Amino acid sequence: MRIQDCKEKELNKLVDLQAKLVKANEKLNAVVSYCDVDAQLENYTAPTDAPLYGTPVVLKDNISTKGVRTTASSRILDNYVPFYDATVVKKLRDAGAIFTCKSAMDELGMGGTGLNAYTGKVNNPYDLERITGGSSSGSAALVAAGLSPLAIGTDTGDSIRKPAAYCGIVGVKPTYGRISRYGVIPYASSLDHVGYFTTNIQDAALALEVMAGRDDQDMTSSYEEVAPYASLLKADLKGKKIGIISNVVDAIVDPRFRPSFDAFTKKLEQQGAILEMVTFDQDLMNALLPTYFIISNAEATANHSNLDGIRFGMREPGADLTEIMINSRTKGFSSEVRKRFVIGSYSLFTENQEKIFRKAQKVRRVIVEALDDALKNYDILLAPAAGTLAPKPDESFGEDLNNTFMVAENHMLLGNFSGYPSITVPYDVVDTMPVAINLLARAFDEQTMFNVAKGIEDITGLAGMTKEDF
Amino acid sequence: MNFEVIIGIEIHCELKTNTKMFSSAPLSFAAVPNTCTNEIDLGMPGTLPCVNKDAVKSAVKACLATNCTIDTLIRFDRKNYYYSDLPKGFQITQQFYPIGSHGKVNIQTDEGTKEIRLNRIHMEEDTAKQFHTDAGTMIDFNRAGTPLIEIVSEPDMRNGKEAAAYVEEIRKTLYYLGVSDVRMEEGSLRCDVNISLRPYGSDVLGAKAEIKNLNSIANVQRAIEYEMKRQNDILLAGGVVTQATLRYDEATRQTVEMRKKEGAVDYKYFPEPNIFPIRIDEALMQDIKENMPELPKERYQTYVTTYELSDYDANTLVANKELSDFFNEAVAHTKEYKLVANWLLGDVSAYLNKNGLQIQDSKLEAKELASMIDMVANREISSKQAKEVFEGIVEGKSAKAVVKEKGMEQLSDPNAILDLVKQVLDANPQSIEDFKNGKDRAVGFLVGQVMKLSKGQANPGLTNKLLVEELNKR
Repeated sequence: MRIQDCKEKELNKLVDLQAKLVKANEKLNAVVSYCDVDAQLENYTAPTDAPLYGTPVVLKDNISTKGVRTTASSRILDNYVPFYDATVVKKLRDAGAIFTCKSAMDELGMGGTGLNAYTGKVNNPYDLERITGGSSSGSAALVAAGLSPLAIGTDTGDSIRKPAAYCGIVGVKPTYGRISRYGVIPYASSLDHVGYFTTNIQDAALALEVMAGRDDQDMTSSYEEVAPYASLLKADLKGKKIGIISNVVDAIVDPRFRPSFDAFTKKLEQQGAILEMVTFDQDLMNALLPTYFIISNAEATANHSNLDGIRFGMREPGADLTEIMINSRTKGFSSEVRKRFVIGSYSLFTENQEKIFRKAQKVRRVIVEALDDALKNYDILLAPAAGTLAPKPDESFGEDLNNTFMVAENHMLLGNFSGYPSITVPYDVVDTMPVAINLLARAFDEQTMFNVAKGIEDITGLAGMTKEDF
Repeated sequence: MNFEVIIGIEIHCELKTNTKMFSSAPLSFAAVPNTCTNEIDLGMPGTLPCVNKDAVKSAVKACLATNCTIDTLIRFDRKNYYYSDLPKGFQITQQFYPIGSHGKVNIQTDEGTKEIRLNRIHMEEDTAKQFHTDAGTMIDFNRAGTPLIEIVSEPDMRNGKEAAAYVEEIRKTLYYLGVSDVRMEEGSLRCDVNISLRPYGSDVLGAKAEIKNLNSIANVQRAIEYEMKRQNDILLAGGVVTQATLRYDEATRQTVEMRKKEGAVDYKYFPEPNIFPIRIDEALMQDIKENMPELPKERYQTYVTTYELSDYDANTLVANKELSDFFNEAVAHTKEYKLVANWLLGDVSAYLNKNGLQIQDSKLEAKELASMIDMVANREISSKQAKEVFEGIVEGKSAKAVVKEKGMEQLSDPNAILDLVKQVLDANPQSIEDFKNGKDRAVGFLVGQVMKLSKGQANPGLTNKLLVEELNKR
């Protein structure tokens, strides 16, 4: 589904779409709550030339919506209804968006599979048995299934770009500070980004225009001017210097990968792109995941200390306030989340902080410096977005810390550590499953990122790809 | 006292800004509970902090006034702990890089001026207020997020009097800066005192007691004096002082243990990721420096040197900023500085006390007080008459109007007075004779007669002069 198509349709077609969504969700299990489309249409005032006029939009369930339940797919927030809107919600509504639903996610953004939502596993439309990836699982599944041209997600450690790869759609994580995080239930503040899914690059460029910009309620949001990305969009590969991250390519062992990837890169060269292999220090690549785990969970343990059952959310009884908090948190979070809190808390203890948390922050800086060095020589860094096709849940994903997992499945953390813009674009379909590459650009250089991605899209011919029969 | 007493003080001061430290919710003392809050103060999921620039400016002023070294790169940290009065589950504070450090203030002690060093001043946010009732705990989130500065002294005080003088100095300074209401009884200034004893000459600190939330300066002194004695008695009896948190019970005038301080809580401080470091630029610093209000120590200096007030009068006036402001306004209209101070600390204060008023709430105008005082000094009215005039000007009348109304206007026309003088001399030949015989007392008698004849309105100085001249002519 494309934004332009929606803008040309009659508004009341959105009611039919909502029915279709409900039906499809029986198979996808991607929705936590539905939004009241009728009510939104009744009060609809957007002019027909609004950028998202009549456009249905899915919101990840960690984005606060006034009066609409927002659970972040966690039991502890199962009954939580915010009394304020996230900044991104206001911006989308002002641009004409109609919200259709709140989508399922790995609880509080913690996870990369879509297996860890309170509503259960989210299913991949290309193969319902397979996972969507996560944590923005429901948003990815719904765009891939042709049920929405635009879905909002968040990306702390590749939570948009990985599911985009598994589901064969475009996933954008702009520069840190480009889109306000105000009203978005956090995972880890220094790594969290608001981003989104579309089926094509034109829509991706338009969506950023709508959502980007300084927000005084988010002190980390940037004053950098928002460019008219969509009107400036132009497929641009000729003479572009693209560095391919060799550590990632070399880490992939699936025999189906190489032929497809080589064919793709050859086409890039045919279009005039200058491709070179870039090799990062392997120790730094291996340090990505542990560094991420420490920083993200340390920040998360503090960020989620407000979920205590006292002022909102699910409250378990207890003899006193302390007991109420302990009981509510014990029952309100899954064991995966509690595990991450323990790790985060441990790394912040006074006796551990210097050698764990602070050290991780230093390693993060060293990694970003290495990235900066690489970006001095290239307009864009490119790598396969995943080491395998979307796996099935019984495959022991991530249990074995081998090279494929440590590097091929986690290299997109470079985008979170640095905050630099990054996009996932599908480039092929292998054994009926989509495969994708990921691009990483310089800070606030989203235009170059979009232009190269558009060139890629033109080569692959996969713009607008969806999987509607599942 | 058999031991050396070591006292350090932490002062939490609520800043008087329009909005909260990290949210745009209004600050409002005594508003209906839970009406001055928004999603940020309530710690709702997804909210982010936004630093209040005015609070930072206030903190800078406090640092400048206490001679702190200012770190112009503002950074915040999280202090993590779970409590129902802390909505986010962490407090945003400045643990690693306080805005001010290495400060010092001078206090007056029995031995003279003493310097008290400040360890640090840092900014943070206040917690919600809890009310424990039989029915349960009520939480008012109005206070949550109120900007605070915490001022931490070095352990430089040695007795209750010094501690009280230090708190008073800080209170006065913050009040003059206009950054806080500094009302201890209402909690906008809160004091925690750390106190320990050690043998003279020892350089090891003894186990300390922390006395929490003292609600008046008098209680700071009383609590310390009680606690000094308690620890002294324990140590003399061969006992051991245990580290503990205490409160001061006003009714029994004793310190009471709240909890033992065993293994301190690990607050897991770490840098606040949602606030990037903020640089206070040179222009803003300059602006703050140039607009610093007059500080109490500066005002004291002016009083003692320029106005030649006594040390006691100067201190007493400065301690009450509004009275001191009134003094400054009054001395703009008269040169009788000492008299103004006397009136303010005497009759004016007595009047205010009697009527339960503050100077700013009374109808008395500084200009009128000055005008009345000048009349006394110029002997246009007597001191006794001044008391009557005062009764009028505290009701908002002008001094001149009261004088006129009460018929106290002086006769100052030399011709008119000379007429009276002649009348009196004509009627008292014996007194002229006495004068010629060298009896000076006669002049006094004759002046009295002129005054009597003028119903007390003849200018005494002028009368005296004209009378002597006329006597010499006869």
